Amino acid sequence: MSITVPNTKRAKQAAKGPYGHLGTVLNELDDRLGVAEGGRSFMDKIFPDHWSFMLGEIALYSFVVIMVTGVFLTLYYIPSQALVTYHGSYLPLDGMRVTEAFASTVNLSFAVRAGLLMRQMHHWSCDIFIGSMVVHMARVFFTGAFRKPRELNWSIGLTLLTLAIVNGFLGYSLPDDLVSGTGIRIAYSIVLSIPLVGTYLGFFAFGGNFPGTSVIPRFFIMHVLIVPGIMLGLVGAHMFLLYRQKHTQFPGEGRTEKNVVGSPMFPVFMAKTTGFLLLVTGVTALLGAFAQINPIWQFGPYEASRISYAVQPDWYMAFLDGMLRIFPAWSFHSFGYTIPFEVTIPAVIFPGLLFGVAYAWPTLERLFTKDNEMHNLLDRPSNRPKRTAAGAAVLAMLSTLFLASSTDVIANFFHISLTTVLWSMRVLVLVSPFVAYPITYKICKEMQGIKGGGKRKTPNVVTRTEEGEYLASSAPVYVDDLPSELEPTEVPRYITSPPKEPDVAEPGARIVER
Amino acid sequence: MTTSLIKRLGAFSAVAFLVLAPLSVFVSSASGAGHTPYQTTRKNAGTPNSSVVVKNKSGVVISYGNSAIMYNAPSSKLVTLGQALFLENCASCHGVEANGVAANGTSGAYPNLVGLGPATIDFWIDSGRMPAADPRAVEAPRRTPRLTPVQALAVAAWVNSLLPSYPDIPTPNLKNANVADGAALFALNCAACHTIEGDGDALAEDTFAPSLRKIPAFQVVEAIRTGPANMPRFTGNLSDYQVRDIVKYVTTEIEHPQNPGGLGLGGLGPVAEGFVGLLLGVGILALVAFWVGERQ
Repeated sequence: MSITVPNTKRAKQAAKGPYGHLGTVLNELDDRLGVAEGGRSFMDKIFPDHWSFMLGEIALYSFVVIMVTGVFLTLYYIPSQALVTYHGSYLPLDGMRVTEAFASTVNLSFAVRAGLLMRQMHHWSCDIFIGSMVVHMARVFFTGAFRKPRELNWSIGLTLLTLAIVNGFLGYSLPDDLVSGTGIRIAYSIVLSIPLVGTYLGFFAFGGNFPGTSVIPRFFIMHVLIVPGIMLGLVGAHMFLLYRQKHTQFPGEGRTEKNVVGSPMFPVFMAKTTGFLLLVTGVTALLGAFAQINPIWQFGPYEASRISYAVQPDWYMAFLDGMLRIFPAWSFHSFGYTIPFEVTIPAVIFPGLLFGVAYAWPTLERLFTKDNEMHNLLDRPSNRPKRTAAGAAVLAMLSTLFLASSTDVIANFFHISLTTVLWSMRVLVLVSPFVAYPITYKICKEMQGIKGGGKRKTPNVVTRTEEGEYLASSAPVYVDDLPSELEPTEVPRYITSPPKEPDVAEPGARIVER
Repeated sequence: MTTSLIKRLGAFSAVAFLVLAPLSVFVSSASGAGHTPYQTTRKNAGTPNSSVVVKNKSGVVISYGNSAIMYNAPSSKLVTLGQALFLENCASCHGVEANGVAANGTSGAYPNLVGLGPATIDFWIDSGRMPAADPRAVEAPRRTPRLTPVQALAVAAWVNSLLPSYPDIPTPNLKNANVADGAALFALNCAACHTIEGDGDALAEDTFAPSLRKIPAFQVVEAIRTGPANMPRFTGNLSDYQVRDIVKYVTTEIEHPQNPGGLGLGGLGPVAEGFVGLLLGVGILALVAFWVGERQ
């Protein structure tokens, strides 16, 4: 049934529908691209509201900040190891022979408007990016969100974390300053330590012996194009799978394996998440403006003959550095070959094992528990004491390794012997998982026994009897949790495609269906 | 024919001259070295052998050096005072004759100070390391000095009177120092222990490289020239001019670092940055999520 709209103001307004000009534009778009149906289901998508589900968003928006600031930096950075004489505004380096990479980084810090702010925001948001990824991963792990059907997204997330760590290291190396050059030196040695193929791999990756002249250009193209390109694709896949498989939710009133309770994409979630994007950018900008990070002008350029003590990598590489520092000096010399176990085991085999177990964990857990069900409801961590305890054990070991990467700083700060710190770390890294596991397990078991544990506290209702006795009893349910709110409301479908009409409307008329 | 030959010879000799002339300059400078009083060798840096020398009437060297660093001997009038101070503050360990033989007769536990030169004695006392708070500690830390600068000079004068030696008390002149050269020399010679930002750090066992953030210029020279505790004694590989450049860099950029990017975070590098990034960055944003999201 179609009607021809009469040419009056009110009728025209009515014909435009409740969304006015926006509605007209959307109609035009729908005519050409057919966005209404997909857009409708996109905007109606329900996202659970729990705060811990927003930890991954910190990572997503930090990635946005990294890309925007990174594009700014590429405008001024020169990826070259050609030697130039520095004549810039930082006098203590004046006249020094430095690489173009170092000179351009110092210049973009001091001579480009907002350059230092952008560099510091880029670096801070990288620290925040990987930090929030780890926190997000811990949330996913401890609540069991990686279980069937989401094992693939767990693997994608883990790959993203690996790539982010690699890219963080590549970017950290680009200024070619004294501290990062030491890092490249260590990376080269780690590649060399791989048995049989190490030297070939090292020459292949670095274009010859260290330091060579092609490290910086190669790292640059990896850092700004190849790795971020892969990451961008994987972030898209991560988001698409999240959209396709729908978000998990904590069990609660009215929540089942078959539904999702939360806020719709538009307008609630979209407003919230946009605000969150701005807040992530804001916090990063505050850090970039007020906290100095990686002052390369104080370090000076890298030369293979120079070295500074107390050199640590950025925090996300610290567990590897810590492992390298505390591992005993074992090596194998025979048959004309050397296998440096003191490098191979902590820097190649250990991270390989760690990430291998992480990739395999969903499968391992499925095999171990023989649980092949689909899981859309999350676990309360204390209800899965073994998994929680295992996660806590790994985190305890990684935290110890993280601390072990600053053995010298700890020794200097607390005025204790470096050897004491070293041996403490060696003992701690072996002992801490075995201490963390039973303690966490016991706490989980205890928490399972708490009456009403894991549930929101309900208000107490105090009644006075006729005899004057006061009796307190907890209300059956929290006022916000009344199930009436959880009844799904009918979604108005304003932008449905119009029904097939056999008769042709007159030119200039608009078919309106309410 | 002959004219062309002569021309060729002329051209050849011109080329030969152009090639050999710089070489000859190089050779003459190389062979001429070693005879001037200013030549610094592996052993004599910071001693009168390398410098212009001023002697008093009785022929004792009271001052030597150059436009970069002047080394002055402590006044001989302070010797009596110095001996009294030494007996009061130092002799219980180093012995009444400063030879490392303690009052109870044991030797070898404490250093023999005879012949170490005034700069060594002055550095240890004036940086507060001596008298030591804990005589058994592997390395004495910098403290508020117990003796005044003049008292330190007096002790140095008395110990030096037992067996005169060098280097004397240095006074660097930083007027024409090149801070960029100082930065490069610092990275090459000092950063491996004191760190590139001069914060110092723990070394093997109980030893450590102290922080360089608050050190008077003359003590930097004393440390470089005398090599206290674990520190190597830098002599022949650093001229007085190079030492002056390092001192300039330490007293300007290390003691007052330029932090245009905001808070310096203690110069601790990625350790402090990691804590700030995780606790402040991720922490604040997680709190924001907790604020925005549902908390059920």
